[in-house]
Amino acid sequence: MRNPFVAGRDGRATPAQALASYALVCAAVIGFFWLSLAMAGIALNLDFVAQFRTRIADGLLLTLEISVASLVLSCVIGLPVAVGQGSRILPVRYLCDLYVKLIRGTPLLAQIYLFFYIVGTAWGVENRFAAGVIILSVFSGAYIAEIVRGSLSSLDSGQLEAARAVGFTRAQTLRYVVVPQLVSRTLPALTGQFASIVKDSSLLSVIAVIELTQTMQEISASTFNLFGTYLVLAALYLVLTLPIMFVSRWFERRGSYAH
Amino acid sequence: MNLSSTPVTRRALFASALTAATAAVTLVGCSDTEGAGTAAGSASASRRTLTVGMELAYPPFETKDDAGNPTGVSVSFMQDFADAYGYELKVENMGFDGLIPSLQTRKADCVMSSITITPEREEQVDFTDPYAVAQLAILANASSGIESADDLNQPGKTVAVKTGSTGDVYATKNLAQAEILRLADESACVTEVSQGRADGFLYDQLTIYRNQKANPDTTVAVFIPFQDPEYWGIAVQQGDDELREELNAFIAESRQNGEFDKLTETYLAEEKAAFDELGFRWFFDFDEQDAATGDSAAADAGEAANSEGKDA
Repeated sequence: MRNPFVAGRDGRATPAQALASYALVCAAVIGFFWLSLAMAGIALNLDFVAQFRTRIADGLLLTLEISVASLVLSCVIGLPVAVGQGSRILPVRYLCDLYVKLIRGTPLLAQIYLFFYIVGTAWGVENRFAAGVIILSVFSGAYIAEIVRGSLSSLDSGQLEAARAVGFTRAQTLRYVVVPQLVSRTLPALTGQFASIVKDSSLLSVIAVIELTQTMQEISASTFNLFGTYLVLAALYLVLTLPIMFVSRWFERRGSYAH
Repeated sequence: MNLSSTPVTRRALFASALTAATAAVTLVGCSDTEGAGTAAGSASASRRTLTVGMELAYPPFETKDDAGNPTGVSVSFMQDFADAYGYELKVENMGFDGLIPSLQTRKADCVMSSITITPEREEQVDFTDPYAVAQLAILANASSGIESADDLNQPGKTVAVKTGSTGDVYATKNLAQAEILRLADESACVTEVSQGRADGFLYDQLTIYRNQKANPDTTVAVFIPFQDPEYWGIAVQQGDDELREELNAFIAESRQNGEFDKLTETYLAEEKAAFDELGFRWFFDFDEQDAATGDSAAADAGEAANSEGKDA
């Protein structure tokens, strides 16, 4: 019988092996955390979860809504920007370039405050949910533009020449050569970006968008249960992000078969 | 080339990060500064370190000077206490949320950060006798027409509060009709009001006074008292009666020997004059009656909040 903790020569693990090793690793991580709690003399109290379950569920739902809306809107922003960065019209190219640099070079927290209190006030964005989605989309759009630009530039120019050689029209080249590869190269990273959006949405709590983090901070302030609330907070974010990461990995595997 | 300072700073940062991670406490700033105390009047032979938790974001009580060192009424007060009782003072800056947990995890010996004594907090930590008394006030938008707390308790009105502050507690209990915006940052609350996104911001009289002065065109201050006074105490770990008794003795002495007048003179001279003119009670004005009833008055107010707050 194979050693249950060592992968085969091909680098693959059987399902039983994977399960056993994962269980071991999880137990070690949880054990380390419990030990730390015990050593720090902290008694965890999770009674507040039942007491505030409606608010927590509302917060979780709002986080999900903000994240999904932001993912859609950030793709709408990110795709044209990715194309625009290669544009032959220079002002367009530099505008896209500047946008990506400004957003990626500054902290999201600063963007939230500056957008909400200056741009938002000047242009009458009163709704906090809408403001939150716009800010998060503008932020994430820059990262998506970079992901797409990376995929675009990785396409081998020889393929385009080959497409022309076999008599493909521009539309056919796009449909049968560019898009399939773009999708398989972009999808894993794009899904990963969705997990980032979920986490980054927590910063919207500073403008009192009552999403998951703001909800938990309010509960923490009234129960003084800092450790309990942040532990549950972290667990709930994992409930959202782990499946997304799983899907991202699945896209990655599926994409790599295509070649 | 300065080779020596970089590694030290890095190590300090790393240590702070580690502390934060282990304790799962949000550290807002990482500047731990030792008080420059001298051993004047040291009673005991071996000097013990006294770690005091403060949120250094509440001038002039707890703040930082231009060089980043802790300063303010509470810092000076604790320094004088440390000198008198033979401690080495160490001020730990942390977020307001992390103050009470810092006592529970024994990262701090006591917390002096303009904390109101409430029964809910008394379940978590022990408090000294009150050393100051404050009153909530309203910073209202100039065009909101708000003249009292009742004006805020209407559907369609928006009230900004700092998360977890006594303004938050009051609004949660008494302004149920209004929408409550809980913000982490005091200046964000002020911005909400001055831009008209919120109709009013509930905080103590001094902060409201200062922020109204800073935004004279867009805000008005409403100083009519709408609740019982709030008593500020120094929090210690549960059961640490030795430190609590020492602090109580020093608070009593300070009231007699003019320590609080000296602190007022140093940090709050202008505000004191303004308060006198407005006829407000000063932070450190206690009469005998207060000292006796202060605790129970605060307890009564807070208990009501507790029992009614549960179903909110």
